[in-house]
Amino acid sequence: MGFKSILSKFKKNERQEEAKKHYLTGKEIKVIAKANAQEMRRLEKAKNRKVPPEEYMSVMKDENNVLEVENLHSYFFTDQGVVKAVNGVTFNIPVNSTVGVVGESGCGKSVTAMSVMRLLQGPSGQIVDGSIRFKAYDYKTDEEGRPVPTYETDENGEIVYETVVDKNGKETHKPVIKGYEKVEAVYDIAKMPIKEMYKLRGRQISMVFQEPMTSLNPVFTIGNQLDEVTLLHIPGATKETAKKRSIEMLDMVGIAMPDRVYASYPHELSGGMRQRVMIAMALACEPRLIIADEPTTALDVTIQAQVLDLFNDLKTRINGSILLITHDLGVIAEMADYVVVMYAGRIIEQGTALEIFRNPMHPYTKGLQKSKPTMNSSTDTLYNIPGNVPNPINMPNYCYFKERCRYCTDKCSGEYPCMRQVSPTHFVACHLYESKED
Amino acid sequence: MFKYILKRIGISILILLGVSMILYALLRCMPADFIESKIANLAQTGITVSEEFVKEMYRSYGLDGSILQGYFTWLGNVLRLDFGTSFINHRPVLSEIFNADRIGTSFFVAAIATVFEFLIAIPLGVTAATHQYSFRDYLVTVLVLIGISLPSFFFGQMLKNLFANKLGWFPVSGMKDPNINYTNKFMEISDFLKHMFLPILTVVILSIGSRMRMTRTNMLEVLNADYIRTARAKGLKESKVIYKHAFRNTMIPLVTSLAGLIPSLFSGAMITESVFDLTGIGSYALNAMTQGDIPVIMTYNMFLAVLSVIGVLLADLMYAVVDPRVKLA
Repeated sequence: MGFKSILSKFKKNERQEEAKKHYLTGKEIKVIAKANAQEMRRLEKAKNRKVPPEEYMSVMKDENNVLEVENLHSYFFTDQGVVKAVNGVTFNIPVNSTVGVVGESGCGKSVTAMSVMRLLQGPSGQIVDGSIRFKAYDYKTDEEGRPVPTYETDENGEIVYETVVDKNGKETHKPVIKGYEKVEAVYDIAKMPIKEMYKLRGRQISMVFQEPMTSLNPVFTIGNQLDEVTLLHIPGATKETAKKRSIEMLDMVGIAMPDRVYASYPHELSGGMRQRVMIAMALACEPRLIIADEPTTALDVTIQAQVLDLFNDLKTRINGSILLITHDLGVIAEMADYVVVMYAGRIIEQGTALEIFRNPMHPYTKGLQKSKPTMNSSTDTLYNIPGNVPNPINMPNYCYFKERCRYCTDKCSGEYPCMRQVSPTHFVACHLYESKED
Repeated sequence: MFKYILKRIGISILILLGVSMILYALLRCMPADFIESKIANLAQTGITVSEEFVKEMYRSYGLDGSILQGYFTWLGNVLRLDFGTSFINHRPVLSEIFNADRIGTSFFVAAIATVFEFLIAIPLGVTAATHQYSFRDYLVTVLVLIGISLPSFFFGQMLKNLFANKLGWFPVSGMKDPNINYTNKFMEISDFLKHMFLPILTVVILSIGSRMRMTRTNMLEVLNADYIRTARAKGLKESKVIYKHAFRNTMIPLVTSLAGLIPSLFSGAMITESVFDLTGIGSYALNAMTQGDIPVIMTYNMFLAVLSVIGVLLADLMYAVVDPRVKLA
């Protein structure tokens, strides 16, 4: 028996030890499953409970924000343990601005977006803690729950009347409805019962998904799916007005021959056109916030630019805000006013786009910037950040980036670093910038 | 579309020719044919039969030639719409099979059972899928699995024992009560329905399981699709998401089962019919089979073959209706 065989035996033992860490015994799984089941039942019940509106009404901390996410925790309860996909995320979206969320795959970007829409797939995916305050611009309702209309007026301030002939040939004199009165209301989405969310989804907050190829229902026409949104959310909408509106929307997102697209099925359109349809659907009710979850990932570069231009154009036109989720730094640079950098379920750095691109502070952000392919460098290989994201089930209690970090110091083995303010808008969570102040 | 259907019908005729050929050959190869068993019966009563008589018998029933010869004679007759007479009672085959007592009874039981099967199994499958892994899901799954696993002769007998013998709510067997003189049509119908209740219940409970499992699996797959998430993101109510957006997509695989459904409406439930003493086609066909009554079996099986071919064609056409992505050409 030589030295080598002993060594290999030792290595084998080590490997077995390593393997053991990743497998759970039946007993352990049972314990986890039981604890999960209890927690999931409690949270599912909370989703469907009936509460008076006061319980989920809230006030914004800053009146200029349309969305304030504070200390959001969204977990997935799996049989291997609790995956803390979003683990204490705090950020704001100011009115009429674009906030970009960047980070590598699995860092919790999409889960954050899904949490805002309350679309996490239950019962395993749940918002556990935190609040999502959203300033809605809701229709004002009278005592009977009907929206209060505002009427068209002429130059003298008089209400304009029109004569309407109904089906039975009866003529009625009616004021022309211009729109409906609206009031601002702040909801805490994280505490809202799901039934109340139906009012916000599609109307106040809408979402454009990553996969245009599979995000449209294959068995209904584009028109049918577009009309649905208008019919659902605009009071007094009829089939004719919905159709008119849908065709208008298709035209607005730059689809040629909107009439033809209106009558066709999703499989008859190209990927770029489907994504436009998705955007048209998201914009149909002029929402205050559009969540775009990697809207350009599945599209080729020429279409990407068009879609991004469309977003920028629409933001100013309907005066909304955009939450843009992507892992493409180029897209962020073009679009975003503010940037949030996420890593393993937490925000590690946030600031204006200029600050993040000109003066990245966190080693991870620096790494991201470095790994961007450039035209004018002559290196053969692209830079990559060494190592992998830690196992999401057993997160360490020190900085999650420690193992991959080049600037690691002794302090990094300590507690998870808290957010430091380095400029009025720039925040970073890293021990490197603590020492300067202490 | 019209061209497609014509093409399919042309292919179907070829398929039916092949089916009839194989069927006829198999029937002629059966170990004990009709004549043999008839002569064995005669021999038992002590009558000695001459070689000459046996040959004459085979000739008169048209079984003397080779299989190929026999097949073409049968085919020629069928093309002249002559389906022959039953070997057993010498009555025309068509009126034997297609009368209200035989195929009518079977069709009545199967059609009503199918309607209830769909009405019960699909909502059960949908609820099981939308409440996956909940108590409701497990309960439904266990109950329908019991339904699948029970053999019909046992379950039918059990129902008969409980509801007919012990509780006396329903008649034990048969099609009508011989002790009642019907005074009006209504009484006749209600008595008939009473007799049909237990057989239909047996068929329904035994067949719900597979359809429910299929609905559940399809529904689960559809509920995880991206477009369901889109539908939710629009602000649609959960019921609308499930019954409009998910359900249409769940229907696509269910259409496949249409192909098997049409022949099954007419094929009769052999065992259930014999448990409840119904004069359905199932038990009749079984009897014809054991006695080697070639004209009856050929006609009956060819009828089912035609229905199967129609079922498959209809299923394909229905695909194009429920799924706009399917183009028939």
